[in-house]
Amino acid sequence: MKNIFLVFIFCLVVQVTFAQGCSDAGICSIGNGFDSDEKELKNNIEIAAIFGTGDADITYISPYIAYTRKFNAKFSLSTKVTFSSANGDFGTRAAFGDAYLIGNYTFKEVKNKQWSALAGWKFPFTSSNLKINGFSLPLDYQSSLGTFDLFLGTNLKYKKWDFNAAIQIPVFNNNKNSYFDEFSASDDFPTTNLFERKSDALFRTTYTIKPTNSKFTFKPNVLFIYHLGEDTFENQFSEREAIEGSDGLTINGNLITSYQINKRNSIELSLATPFLVREIRPDGLTRGFVAGVNYRISF
Amino acid sequence: MKKLFLLPILVLFFSCEVEGDFTKSIEDNPPISPVASVLYSGNFTPTSGINVAGQAKIISESGALKLELSEFSVSSGPDLKVYLSKSSSPDEFITLGNLTSARIYSIPNDVNFNEYTHVLIHCQQYNHLFAIAALTQN
Repeated sequence: MKNIFLVFIFCLVVQVTFAQGCSDAGICSIGNGFDSDEKELKNNIEIAAIFGTGDADITYISPYIAYTRKFNAKFSLSTKVTFSSANGDFGTRAAFGDAYLIGNYTFKEVKNKQWSALAGWKFPFTSSNLKINGFSLPLDYQSSLGTFDLFLGTNLKYKKWDFNAAIQIPVFNNNKNSYFDEFSASDDFPTTNLFERKSDALFRTTYTIKPTNSKFTFKPNVLFIYHLGEDTFENQFSEREAIEGSDGLTINGNLITSYQINKRNSIELSLATPFLVREIRPDGLTRGFVAGVNYRISF
Repeated sequence: MKKLFLLPILVLFFSCEVEGDFTKSIEDNPPISPVASVLYSGNFTPTSGINVAGQAKIISESGALKLELSEFSVSSGPDLKVYLSKSSSPDEFITLGNLTSARIYSIPNDVNFNEYTHVLIHCQQYNHLFAIAALTQN
């Protein structure tokens, strides 16, 4: 009973604290969760909540739950379900976001170098057209971008360094957003009616610091995300229009601090902020500060 | 092991879908003046399985063009929009906004009503046409 109570309290804390550590969608959180040192522990459940602040004073609380199954020393499969609650001038809108399914293959280590590759899918739970009282909302308030995305990536582990490269490609667009700046009382957001998003390319460098005889691990990392084209929308006259300045580079800094409670349990705090952002971010990925906590159980 | 099953249940429990109140007020168009002139009008006809009643009126008021949905009602839909369209199908059109309780919609000033001859009620999210009003000159 005491354990159940503790779990309950923890979930409450997680809901008002946070996790992850990235200011862009999906792509930045892939590739984690496969690095357990305990070979006999083949299953891994992770619960987390992320707190973020975005443009136009919007605040976000975004919990997620992930499950990873290690099939053998080389291959693992990970699933994740996200939820997002956005609160700002328009009101509060909260809903399930996306489901992820990602496979990871780790190659044999050779001379301190270990490569791995990943491939996966993101499935949206919404068409990115959530409303409040019948009023259309900009993408900043949507829990998902409404795209079915393909992830392809690779990781090189070299001594204490990790180098990730990945690409996130929207393969099927199911974005049915119907927000028009022209019909809105706000000037904070661009029109994103029937929004179409371009791909992202990611590069991340992580350095792992593990003090001797310590249960703490520190992972400072820098994340570069290049948005590979200008996003488009359908304007009031049913013509497709490109959003100038929506392509380009985002650079995020992120510090992950994890604490190994015991062989099976660990907790992680993550803090992130962008140093460089795109000129305009119609996709609503405008997090200025992200903080979070996640709890991981292996069995 | 029980804890492992409790965790996701608790996370789901605390993560219920929420739709709060819309707090960014939007001013509705003011009522049409009785002296405003009706330029075009047309009665709404439904598509299959839809109920609709009322009339679409294109009104000129102090130099501004407006659409009035008069004595209007339609079956409910998840993402209904009001279009000014070049034909009875939603191929080339001007979006006038979400269909809400408002009955007056602003029209861009340079619209040529020899081209835009229909008012449509269309569900954009599921691409389903609800109602059509063919406009005739008054």
